[in-house]
Amino acid sequence: MHQDITILIGGAAGQGIQTIGALLAKVCHNAGLFIFSVDDFESRIRGGHSFHLLRISETPLSAPCFEPDILVAIDTKTYEYHKNTLSSHGIVLYNSNDSKKAESNIYNIPLELLAQQAGGKIASNTIAAGAVLAILGAAFKDIEQVLKEQFVKKGKSVLDLNLKAGKSGYDIGRKIDSSFCFDFTLVKHENMVMTGAKAAALGALAADCRFFPFYPMSPGTSIISNIVKYSDQLPIIIEQAEDEIAAVNMAVGASFAGVRSMTSTSGGGFCLMTEGLGLAGMSETPLVIINAQRPGPATGLATRTAQADLLFAINASQDEFPRFVFAPGGVIETFDAVKKAFYLSEKYQVPSIILMDQFLADSAKTESGVFEIGHEHKSFLEQETKLYQSKDYLRYKIIDTGISPRRVPCGSDALVRASGNEHTQEGLSIEDPENRSVMVEKRFKKLKLMKNEMAQPLVFYDNSSFFLAAWGSTKGSVMEACAKLREQEIDAGCIIFEDIWPLDFNTIKRLLENKKLIMVEGNATCQMGTLITQQTGIQFNESILKYDGRPFYPEYIMKKAKQIMGY
Amino acid sequence: MEKTKFDIDNENQWCPGCGNFSILKSMKNAFITLDLEPRDLLLVSGIGQAGKLPNYLACNMLHGLHGRALALATGAKIANHNINIIVNSGDGDCYGEGGNHFLAAIRRNIDITLLVHNNQIYGLTKGQASPTSALGMKTKNQNHGTISNAFNPIATALALGAGFIGQGFSGNMQQLTHLIVEAINYPGFSMIDIYQPCVSFNKINTHAWYKSRVFDLKDSGHDYSDFKKALQLVHNKNHQIPTGIIYKSPGIPFHERLDVLKNQPLVEYSFNAAQLEKTLGIAQFDKGDNQ
Ligand SMILES: Cc1ncc(C[n+]2csc(CCOP(=O)(O)OP(=O)(O)O)c2C)c(N)n1
Ligand code: SF4
Ligand SMILES: [Mg+2]
Repeated sequence: MHQDITILIGGAAGQGIQTIGALLAKVCHNAGLFIFSVDDFESRIRGGHSFHLLRISETPLSAPCFEPDILVAIDTKTYEYHKNTLSSHGIVLYNSNDSKKAESNIYNIPLELLAQQAGGKIASNTIAAGAVLAILGAAFKDIEQVLKEQFVKKGKSVLDLNLKAGKSGYDIGRKIDSSFCFDFTLVKHENMVMTGAKAAALGALAADCRFFPFYPMSPGTSIISNIVKYSDQLPIIIEQAEDEIAAVNMAVGASFAGVRSMTSTSGGGFCLMTEGLGLAGMSETPLVIINAQRPGPATGLATRTAQADLLFAINASQDEFPRFVFAPGGVIETFDAVKKAFYLSEKYQVPSIILMDQFLADSAKTESGVFEIGHEHKSFLEQETKLYQSKDYLRYKIIDTGISPRRVPCGSDALVRASGNEHTQEGLSIEDPENRSVMVEKRFKKLKLMKNEMAQPLVFYDNSSFFLAAWGSTKGSVMEACAKLREQEIDAGCIIFEDIWPLDFNTIKRLLENKKLIMVEGNATCQMGTLITQQTGIQFNESILKYDGRPFYPEYIMKKAKQIMGY
Repeated sequence: MEKTKFDIDNENQWCPGCGNFSILKSMKNAFITLDLEPRDLLLVSGIGQAGKLPNYLACNMLHGLHGRALALATGAKIANHNINIIVNSGDGDCYGEGGNHFLAAIRRNIDITLLVHNNQIYGLTKGQASPTSALGMKTKNQNHGTISNAFNPIATALALGAGFIGQGFSGNMQQLTHLIVEAINYPGFSMIDIYQPCVSFNKINTHAWYKSRVFDLKDSGHDYSDFKKALQLVHNKNHQIPTGIIYKSPGIPFHERLDVLKNQPLVEYSFNAAQLEKTLGIAQFDKGDNQ
């Protein structure tokens, strides 16, 4: 079997847990290993309990693991909270000055003391990283290289301190016997370690997004932080709006004027954006919104994860209008979904919503998929060279597809009128009942074509007796759970929805008929299951639901699935 | 009435005698004075009687939500700062529902012209109090009179550092036309609060009521570059209404604060696959970056 190790580093906020994680990840990544990391942190800057989970493997990973093999306890709380999840051969590196071992698998390391001896308490994280990397079988030169990259900018004394601390930790780690060794001389790969947030930012750039008004709200903000890094090299304007209502309206205004625009937020901000979403729907203006979900309602849990905005996204804003909804299942999937959202939004002149969540936005993984620019930046605007007498151009011209030729304002004699009021083909307000009906039908004519653009859900092990059904970021964990159940000769298949709305539910009905469905969702009412039932009449049999603000781990899904399936 | 190139054949829904007709006429006059064509203009509006205006003349138009016209217009201007954007809003639309966007537009100094049709009442929703209704004003829905003090838009704009502030009155079209011309010519955020009688719902602030109170700042020798004088004007307690340019001073418009907009509008950049390829390359291979 290939090596697959999980390390949990826990402590108080501000103790540099993520720094240790980043160091470990870098050294492993350089050696050609694959990683998947999850940050579990509280909505505070200091204190409390936070942890970083880092899974390392010789083969690609698409899910985290909750049972650490190495538990790095910077404080007592971490040990108390996580000792019961330790894997069967797991060991603990305990930050303690005590020389006596409490249990045979606990190794006390006085991190601060050793750091002080190396020259400064501040380097205690590097001691921990050095120790873990030694246990994992890295050579010191591998660590040295990453430390140099990391600290060279901070000057010689800081670098020397960290090199000394790294070595001190490394020497301790070398003395600890474990079976958690990797081959650090693997063939290097060209993959990158990336979060969903970064993939979303890059997807937007690849789709020619040029305007990104936003209002900060976790976890939607990390997408902005990622796009900001490239804004000096590309023509993109990122503007902090006065509120989410302004953000969405600014995006609609810019899009109307011919610039691809998007905004990202979380549920609370998305609530404020719903009227603007309707304006995009009514005025047939392209718009892309990312809702990185977190538990709610109201402020809920600011730094946690959830999948509870599915039905809201499909139905948000008053009355009815066509829209696209996507829920990408991973990092490369997010990149592709954002590109597709822009492309389809432009093509059909309807808004697109992308449902991410804190888990997807903030977790990092080694992504081996290829990030391609593709053709999604292609313009669907009518060329200005097509001439009209001023009154002949009809922004909302009735044609078979429902997709009227769209132009930008002030580019020609054709006057472009867009409106959130019900309007004539010209775009002027009108209350006439016949016109109203014709316009509602015009907008909905697009729906049939829109459905054809959507990918069917992914299906694995079609003939299985039980089917785990999931959507969005749960993809990786469900797929891994399914594969592991099958290794144990349990007949489980799975179906994963990523293109969410509008779907051709006739096909899905055929797919799901006579299957025992176990819905796996991060909400309390089984929203995707409800949607399936509503659209196909098919009832889901069982569900594995989680609404504690924490992501799904494969182990959890397996345990619950086995109970349901009677194993 | 003589025909202009801005006239269109669309039934006007305002009440006969409404002050909005004079605002519309003054706008057309100003556009003609400025030698503008309908194709040059983008009119953005919110919801209310004022918000309907772009439907009544030849122009490009973005008719949005109640209160949100300034945010829409800001987005459109960022996308293409070469277009001439005018926002028509009401006192409720702009100072009530959209108050936050009013503050932000001034702070950004976004180069658009805001015309607020201030009838001190909610016209379209049939006569409720607006932010500019005087304290104690009785309406159908405020049957014992309003309980909040009136909002002072000019004082607020001054306090926030707006660079062009005008006070108009729909009953003085010549002055209003001139104000609109000046506002459009001003590089940066320009606003004109325009008193406009609502003949159907505001029985207090009538045409005659305004007429007996307005005076033209040109006649009183007001120096609109003097901030202190401007402040004194808006806090005058003698119940006269100064009209004209209240305050004007140069500032750097939003689009001139951004390097990417120095040479061309955002909309005119073409998709640069090569640069993006390079950027994506950097993005992908900054190894181990798990932020
Ligand atoms: C979100 C929302 N809230 C309320 C309304 C109802 N509404 C329409 S116009 C208006 C007030 C209009 O007053 P004002 O802005 O002063 O414009 P006027 O009609 O007086 O020109 C209101 C409250 C709406 N259209 N949208
Ligand atoms: S209700 Fe008042 S503001 Fe509205 S059109 Fe009639 S007179 Fe004008
Ligand atoms: Mg009003």
